[in-house]
Amino acid sequence: MTITLAFQLAIAGVSVGSIYALVALAIVIPFKSSGVLNFAQGEVVTFGAYAALVLTQLALPYPVVVLGVVVLGGVGGIVAERLLIRPIVQAPEFTLVMATFAIGLLIKGLISLKFGDSAASLDSPFDPEPLLAFGLRFNLTSLWILACTTFVTLSVIGFFKYTKMGKAMRAVSVNAEASRLMGIKVSSVYRWAWGISTAIGALSGLLVAPLIGINPEIGHLILRGLLAAVIGGFTSIAGAVFGGIAVGLIETFSGVLIGSTFKNLVPFLLLMLLLFFRPHGLFGAAEAKRV
Amino acid sequence: MNTIARAVCGFVLSVAGLTASAQQQGVTADNILIGAFGPITGPAAYIGLAGRDGMNLAIKEINAAGGINGRKLSSAFEDDAHSPTRGLAAAKKLIEQDKVFMLMSVGGSNATAGTIDYVRDSKLIMYVSIASVPQVTWPFAKNMFRGGTTESARYGELYAEFLSTHFKTKKIGIMSGREEYPRNEGDATVIKLKDWFGLAPVARVEFNIGDKDFTPQLVQMQKAGPDVIAFLGNPAEAAIAMRQAKELGLKQPFFVGSNMVDPALILAARTSAEGVTGFSLIPLLPGSKNPDMVKWQESWKKEYPSAPAGRPNNFDVMAYADMYVVADAMKRAGKDLTTDSMIASLEATKDFSVGAIATKRTFSTKHHIGNLTLVPMIVQNGAWEPVTWSSSRQSDILNRY
Repeated sequence: MTITLAFQLAIAGVSVGSIYALVALAIVIPFKSSGVLNFAQGEVVTFGAYAALVLTQLALPYPVVVLGVVVLGGVGGIVAERLLIRPIVQAPEFTLVMATFAIGLLIKGLISLKFGDSAASLDSPFDPEPLLAFGLRFNLTSLWILACTTFVTLSVIGFFKYTKMGKAMRAVSVNAEASRLMGIKVSSVYRWAWGISTAIGALSGLLVAPLIGINPEIGHLILRGLLAAVIGGFTSIAGAVFGGIAVGLIETFSGVLIGSTFKNLVPFLLLMLLLFFRPHGLFGAAEAKRV
Repeated sequence: MNTIARAVCGFVLSVAGLTASAQQQGVTADNILIGAFGPITGPAAYIGLAGRDGMNLAIKEINAAGGINGRKLSSAFEDDAHSPTRGLAAAKKLIEQDKVFMLMSVGGSNATAGTIDYVRDSKLIMYVSIASVPQVTWPFAKNMFRGGTTESARYGELYAEFLSTHFKTKKIGIMSGREEYPRNEGDATVIKLKDWFGLAPVARVEFNIGDKDFTPQLVQMQKAGPDVIAFLGNPAEAAIAMRQAKELGLKQPFFVGSNMVDPALILAARTSAEGVTGFSLIPLLPGSKNPDMVKWQESWKKEYPSAPAGRPNNFDVMAYADMYVVADAMKRAGKDLTTDSMIASLEATKDFSVGAIATKRTFSTKHHIGNLTLVPMIVQNGAWEPVTWSSSRQSDILNRY
């Protein structure tokens, strides 16, 4: 393998990895604050892609489309949390997870009903011709996704570290009952966690649509998002992003070096190996317990 | 007394038995029930939704024109989700619970492959409109028919000849999906490249349905340096692979499987689809300005006014035309419609044409492959256009029957 090819593969791996990273982020945020694993995130990505398609067909400028998708995604998450999750928030974890499955199926069903199952496409706001630099080819849309992933990651890290709501989310994730006794409005934390994560999920859909097309099945990305989140430790924002990029790189390089047949298998095998040595992922830590 | 009672009972039972045997499943005095299955959910829903809608449009028209020898047609439809097990479950339900007269497969090869052994044993007719899975028509079974699509082996013949003669090359790369149809067509192409032209692909790589990144496969292609890349899969995957090929600097033209010679590919791949070639199973594609196609599309859009972009597609046309083939055979089978009379009638079908929108169908007592004609096409200025090329080789596939 030449150096140029290795770099070109790295570009491809980081491109696809940044998509996984965004989905992983959207999974980690509500888990970090409420302990609920949202299996509907894949369909939120699908929702974002279709929302972008509809808004683009209205001939709205790209920045307005981006804003519209983020707002629709966020509001949708807040509504879903209020109507479908909050009434059963005291239920066992398994029930909550099944509820998120149901929300996902509902979103997918409604999308299929409205748009059918045929593939559609969304034009990128950037030139489809790759940019040539240093003997390498860069897809401008992929670079845009990478920039957005970086921006979202830094924003989310800043949010959790410096804002009152972010700190409240961290507190609730450690102990919801104690947080409530300390005056934190836990229901408000859950609402915002869902809103932020679904806004990111919808944004992911908008960003990936020009690269992978639009159909009701793109929610399958959640599998890679989950893989990335587990590698990252499930509660770490930076870990989720690292996990996403790592999965993208592993897939791409293993496909070339080992063969395309094993491309989808290798990341999962490596995950099993990783969990053997680090059961809480690369950036996660075991919960401390007073004894 | 007992003897008389036994005789009467015996007579009644034998009459009842005779009546039951004369009663053909799925056929009543005023109705013929057809069972159909195809994927209306999942990644291949673009096939099944179109297959279902095209078939139902034809049924509506046939009924409006008076039906079949005094009976109306009706259909029961099951989603097979493009899965062999779901396909088998659908066929079983349609035959055993819904008691249909015959089956129409209007889906892909994956699910159809799962039904074949069961349907062969059931002795009821299965008419396959879209799936190319070879076992439908080979080995030969009296109750299995293939309509608009053709057999994988025929695809192999045409693909191999077109790739080597149209592109005038010996360096051919093949990217094929791991599901039933692309694998079968890829295998058939490899066989014919070897048998007819003494060639082997310079690279053959596989991918999974739903893959989002084709860099590893394209890098292998880049290393092998083919003059043309044959991509056998679905439009969503082809669109990603074609875009990524550009990014990696691959300039080779793409050739695609016949299921993608459809507006859906152009819709998904946009500018990346320019210059792509492939074989169409219908002579005119939806969107054509030919008066027959324009008229047919108007009827379709009247029936399905809120259909999504990309519809109607080729599969609408194929299932629509095949429903007319079936209806024509039913008419000729006469009032006493049975599985045997229907098979005999279908086998007598010769050059049946529903119009310029579809190829002619011919069956015989020796083979049940209705269509051997495919039309080469190329994407030019965002639309599929015919290519001036014709096969100069005699097909081998009928020799084995």
